[in-house]
Amino acid sequence: MSAPSSASSIPQPLILIVDDEPQIQRFLGHALSAAGYECCLAATGAEALHLAEARRPDLMILDLGLPDMNGKAVIERLRLTSALPVIVLSAQDQEMEKIMALDLGADDFVAKPFAIGELLARLRVCLRPRRANPPSDIIRAGSLLIDRSAHEVTRAGLPIRLTPKEFELLIALAQNPGRVMTHRQLLLQVWGPAHVDDVPYLRVFIGQLRQKLENGATGPAEIQTEPGVGYRWMGARNE
Amino acid sequence: MKHADPPMDEPQLRTASLGWMTAPRAGGLLSAALWLALAAGAAILTHHTLSETARLMLFLLAVLVSAVRYGFWVGVISAAASVLLFNFIFVEPHFSFDIARPESLVTLLVFMLVAGLIGLLAGRLRGQRDDAEERATLLATISEVSRDIASAPTPEAVLNAALTHMTSLTRSPGMVLKDDGHGAQLLLSRPEDRVPGADDLQAAQQALRRGGVEFATAPGWDGSRFTFFPIRAEGAGNYVIGHERIGAPQMDLDYREQAITVIVRQSELALQRLAFAASANDERRKAETESLKATLLSSLSHDLRTPLATILGSVTTLRELGPSLPAPARSDLLMAIEEEAQRLNRYVANLLHMTRLQSGLGAQMSWLDAGDVARAAMLRATRAFPQARIQGDLPEMPMIRGEAALLEQALFNLMENAAKYAPGPITLSGRREGGELVFAVSDTGPGLPENVRMWLNSDRLAAGPELSGLGLPICKGIVRALGGRLSAQTQQPHGAQIALHLPVPSDAMPRG
Repeated sequence: MSAPSSASSIPQPLILIVDDEPQIQRFLGHALSAAGYECCLAATGAEALHLAEARRPDLMILDLGLPDMNGKAVIERLRLTSALPVIVLSAQDQEMEKIMALDLGADDFVAKPFAIGELLARLRVCLRPRRANPPSDIIRAGSLLIDRSAHEVTRAGLPIRLTPKEFELLIALAQNPGRVMTHRQLLLQVWGPAHVDDVPYLRVFIGQLRQKLENGATGPAEIQTEPGVGYRWMGARNE
Repeated sequence: MKHADPPMDEPQLRTASLGWMTAPRAGGLLSAALWLALAAGAAILTHHTLSETARLMLFLLAVLVSAVRYGFWVGVISAAASVLLFNFIFVEPHFSFDIARPESLVTLLVFMLVAGLIGLLAGRLRGQRDDAEERATLLATISEVSRDIASAPTPEAVLNAALTHMTSLTRSPGMVLKDDGHGAQLLLSRPEDRVPGADDLQAAQQALRRGGVEFATAPGWDGSRFTFFPIRAEGAGNYVIGHERIGAPQMDLDYREQAITVIVRQSELALQRLAFAASANDERRKAETESLKATLLSSLSHDLRTPLATILGSVTTLRELGPSLPAPARSDLLMAIEEEAQRLNRYVANLLHMTRLQSGLGAQMSWLDAGDVARAAMLRATRAFPQARIQGDLPEMPMIRGEAALLEQALFNLMENAAKYAPGPITLSGRREGGELVFAVSDTGPGLPENVRMWLNSDRLAAGPELSGLGLPICKGIVRALGGRLSAQTQQPHGAQIALHLPVPSDAMPRG
């Protein structure tokens, strides 16, 4: 797919679309071109891995139901050599596979069928360089202010008292604005490898955190639940 | 002795053999007497020519013959009689039972001992031979019964075989009754016009209730003339099999009773086996339905997902990015939406048919012109797949019984399948072959994978994981509902042919 000529002077991010359904490729091609991305297409996992190597795309959109190999296998193979951001497209009956794909290093997911706006939003988040700026000590999310070095959280200037674990959990989420964090990733990061399966534990802490951060009736909650998958920090929306 | 003496009012058990000590019969005794008379006659005739010892041998011979032919008791009685006779005729004083000389006493005692021993041994041998014969007959009968009953395909056949063998054993009328929950109902009888009386029904019910043998009453007493044995097969219902009192000539045949016990046991086992087989069959059918559902569900989610994703994605793209889309892209997206909406419509039609068939409503059969239906299906396929080259070879065809919408869907699904996999021309042909109307969809594509071909030719409704998509499973379900079948073959040099066979009613007239 060629990019619109008006934008050809600026280098456009190259998106690799991996899906075996020609109809999906068809509308994604039009949509991404119109949104200002360049696209290349692959219908199989092998082709996807080859193009990821050859064309060096900026992001991969990967359907989990490929004819030749499992989507998880594609991610596993890809992650051996590359940190290429990956958004997986999953169907309702691929819940488990989706979670495994995320745990294996996929960056985010979009469930089929989806509105194009949702995919484009995820795309923008994933294309934002993860470690472009050294992690700053101050994280802002609307009226919420997190000071990492001082271990202080304030909402509109009023201090919020958090336990050390709650604070770590908040940091783990707020550091990845817009991205889904799986249960496993959060548990691993905050509680360590011995607790990666203690999802009920995590739920309790998220509940406490939400209560303490409560934004009154003024704005949307910062922590969004992805049912069965994990949580997403939505504080960045107000930036 | 094999078992204790039975009570007098249970005449069947009186057939019990006493082993080798079978009670003497009048005929046997008479013959023995004749033999003895013969020996006595010969001894008298040879009074002057033969010595006393030799004449004694003649009596021993008579005892031996009687014992061998008529058993132990006859032998012993005949031995005693010959001693008396010999004493009476040949021992001094003649024609008296007195004994004058001491030698004669010794001779008589030895004779008595020898005759008794001969009677005992010969009778015992005879008894053993009889036992062996009985056992052989019993074994032969049992093996025949086992074979017949075990190979019976239905409960009725089991009971029929059991009754046949029992009546041939007892040589008397027999019947089988079924416990229908309220009481015993006649199921089979030999001879066939034999109907149980009130006494018989009561006895049969008694046997069912008590779960034990209900013996016939003795001759001359009130009550059932039948002996009833309960047949209790778990899961297959309760039955009772009975035979009329065995006639007097067979009273000594012990093996009958054993064989009847075996027949009853074998019938119970066979009925249980059939019940298990039936329930296993039910389970298998249930599992097949379940696996069909699972197959359809997974095909469904696969088939519905893509059109929905395309439509939603395209519509939101048009809405959100419309202004920045070039005109050809916009129209391409609109076309994609239309195509996918039509695809969804086809799936929904398929689904509706499938739901109807699955809910067990079946097809609504009416007379229809199969040629018209085939042409309609072809038209629909040509519209749905404009790139496919579909040709028809549809001469005049007989009217059949079926449902037009279902038949059209089945034919459409076959053409859709061909259009999906084969780029070349697709032919829909129809012809009559004997009592069948055969529609065949042929293509020149890569042919069918072997497992798909085998599935199409099989009875199985549920396809394996090798088949994605709803088209062929639904086609198969429809054809089955219409009373037909599918067949598939690979064509030379390449291509696939899937044929749909439908029965032509015998009174169908070619339309003209």
